[in-house]
Amino acid sequence: MRSAKRQHSKQGGINNRLFKLKLLAATWTGKMLISLTRVLGRGGTTLPGRTALKIAPHLSSSLTNMLPEGSLIVSGTNGKTTTSALITGILKEAGFKCVHNQSGSNMSWGVASSLVAAATWTGRLPGDWAVMEVDEGAFPGVARDIRPRGVVITNVFRDQLDRYGEVDHVLEAIRRGLDIQPEDGFEVINADDPSLVSIAAKSGKKRWSYGLEIDLPEDTFENTGRDIKSCPVCKEKLSYEKIYFAHLGHYRCPSCGYSRQEPDVKLTGMEKTSDGKTLLQISLPGENIEITFPLLGTYNLYNLLAAVTCARALNIETGSIAGALEKSAPSFGRMELFELEGKTVVMALIKNPVGANEVLRTILSQPDQISLLVAINDKIADGTDVSWLWDVDFEQLASIKNRLSGLTVSGLRAHDMAVRFKYAGLEPAQVEIRDNMAEAIGQAVEKAVPGGKIFILPTYTAMLEMRRILNRMGLGKPYWEE
Amino acid sequence: MAAIRIYHLYPAHLNLYGDRGNMLALCRRAEWHGIGVEIIPVEPGGRIDFARCDLLFMGGGQDSDQKLVAEDLKSRKSEMRQAVEGGMTVFAVCGSYQLLGQYYITGSGEKIEGLEIAGLYTEAGPKRLIGNAVINCPLWKPPRTLVGFENHAGRTYLEPGLEPLGKVIIGAGNNGTDKTEGAVYKNVIGTYLHGSLLPKNPWLTDYLLEKALSFRNQEFKPAELDDSMEHQAHDAAIRLAGSRRHRRLSTRA
Repeated sequence: MRSAKRQHSKQGGINNRLFKLKLLAATWTGKMLISLTRVLGRGGTTLPGRTALKIAPHLSSSLTNMLPEGSLIVSGTNGKTTTSALITGILKEAGFKCVHNQSGSNMSWGVASSLVAAATWTGRLPGDWAVMEVDEGAFPGVARDIRPRGVVITNVFRDQLDRYGEVDHVLEAIRRGLDIQPEDGFEVINADDPSLVSIAAKSGKKRWSYGLEIDLPEDTFENTGRDIKSCPVCKEKLSYEKIYFAHLGHYRCPSCGYSRQEPDVKLTGMEKTSDGKTLLQISLPGENIEITFPLLGTYNLYNLLAAVTCARALNIETGSIAGALEKSAPSFGRMELFELEGKTVVMALIKNPVGANEVLRTILSQPDQISLLVAINDKIADGTDVSWLWDVDFEQLASIKNRLSGLTVSGLRAHDMAVRFKYAGLEPAQVEIRDNMAEAIGQAVEKAVPGGKIFILPTYTAMLEMRRILNRMGLGKPYWEE
Repeated sequence: MAAIRIYHLYPAHLNLYGDRGNMLALCRRAEWHGIGVEIIPVEPGGRIDFARCDLLFMGGGQDSDQKLVAEDLKSRKSEMRQAVEGGMTVFAVCGSYQLLGQYYITGSGEKIEGLEIAGLYTEAGPKRLIGNAVINCPLWKPPRTLVGFENHAGRTYLEPGLEPLGKVIIGAGNNGTDKTEGAVYKNVIGTYLHGSLLPKNPWLTDYLLEKALSFRNQEFKPAELDDSMEHQAHDAAIRLAGSRRHRRLSTRA
């Protein structure tokens, strides 16, 4: 079943020993580099993995081969980190040990880094499962390496155009990755995403799908150019019976008839509980379950369904699923909560217009006074082209102007963000520019009113920096200690 | 009150790189200068009324969308040409800029006929030219800088006599070799720069508004605006584009 294993038995002798030796050298080097970066307070996820892969390109494949249960991959534009964290939580609740790249470092070297971190100094990988979130572009390569038993694809939006160019390329990468996956595996996809569903399932492979079947207020955000509401088959404009956000919903093509199919797992009901959580009714094949879920936002409902569907595909009993999800906490930088000087700080990663719009929608739904800090970097992991900021519907903030007690911008592209706020119709005099991120946090805290909230919206590398600053202030823990 | 009519071509299709920011900049600054703006979105198959259009804005799109525009506008080539010769203002970014020329040969070797508005042609190159860009633009005396971000596979060449929008200081520009960026023909401006381009280069926004007004014999009476935030963003972007980190990024891309 596993290619590396087959290789072992065929080659044997010196080659086999060399193979193992390389793996050991790579593991050691990687582990030493990880320790070094952690001593420096950074928790590096790039350099250790890159170096280890240079020494032993087969590292990820060899290590995951040692796992008795195998690997799972979560890919797609938005929701990878939360979905993979929810799946890991369910597997742990069911009694499995998991290796998981929880920092969100999701290129091939990020996967390698987290495998190396979990491996022993003798080059063994303990545990039952590897749950890896993987960047869409890196998906085919990682799928080739770790031969996942299950793949979950969350959705496809336009994202970081400097890297991928056009959305067709992303779909192509996902198609290739799914093709590489072994035929005895399964895939889980979002039934509400018309372009994702258009990827034909490979014959013989089990495909599971999930979708929302509830009523929600209409998406009034402008997702300029980021949603793909044309039919993936004939390019005609799709008509929607329900739109949950961007192009996710109940679609039908009036021209060729291409339409949403009934998913295997459905969210059929939702009500708020008195303690601010949500009680969800979920319909699975043959049974209905109720889950209390603490995470906010429509996008998290999709993440939850993806995790439930994956757990069901693995035959995990519903008690473990509900038990784990009730306890779920926000993942790394996704609406993470901190307490600072008696004020609540919420950190929410933004990286593309659709995701950022969803974060804004959640902010708008809060009744509190808000001190907002947006930190934009333009390093490779953030996307070097910041024009996406103009496709985020920041104009919506103008409607809660009187609830914005502060507006702070930071990051390498702080000035771009300041101009963005000005053209969104917010008061330029209110915008404070702080290049230094620690100062920016200080400013945002100062501008928060008692009982109000501080929202920090950073891009990926800005979030890493923000988190380091908060950790130094004694808030939260570095991700590797969680 | 002075007023202009902006036709926005295919807002749902040509919007690849923050083109919404360009429209937003035109609308906001017009409002701040006390100029009334009417925006008319044109969808594929829809008609541009060239007799009523003061400023035509065309954004960037995927190859397939670009072909759509070419098909749509082919039958109206002479009308559009006439409007341009008469002084209609056109602002075209990236894919639409390429369309202003004679032709565009795509990566797969397909030849897309252009609108033949300006003497330029485009051929796809082996790798995309991606990164921050700064140009020196002689539309003002003394020249002013424009800063943006470019991401294009096409190499555009200007025929003799056609003026570029500016001279490349940082970045690749039209083709990565002759140091030209964009093109200016009468009141038509084509450029590869997005970012979005207009918010960080407010003098270009005002230039377009002025041209659109004067086309209808209206005077541009600029209000005294505090543009310090835009100026700071402009200067910061130039510093970033010139930094070693960015130069490394753009050569790698």
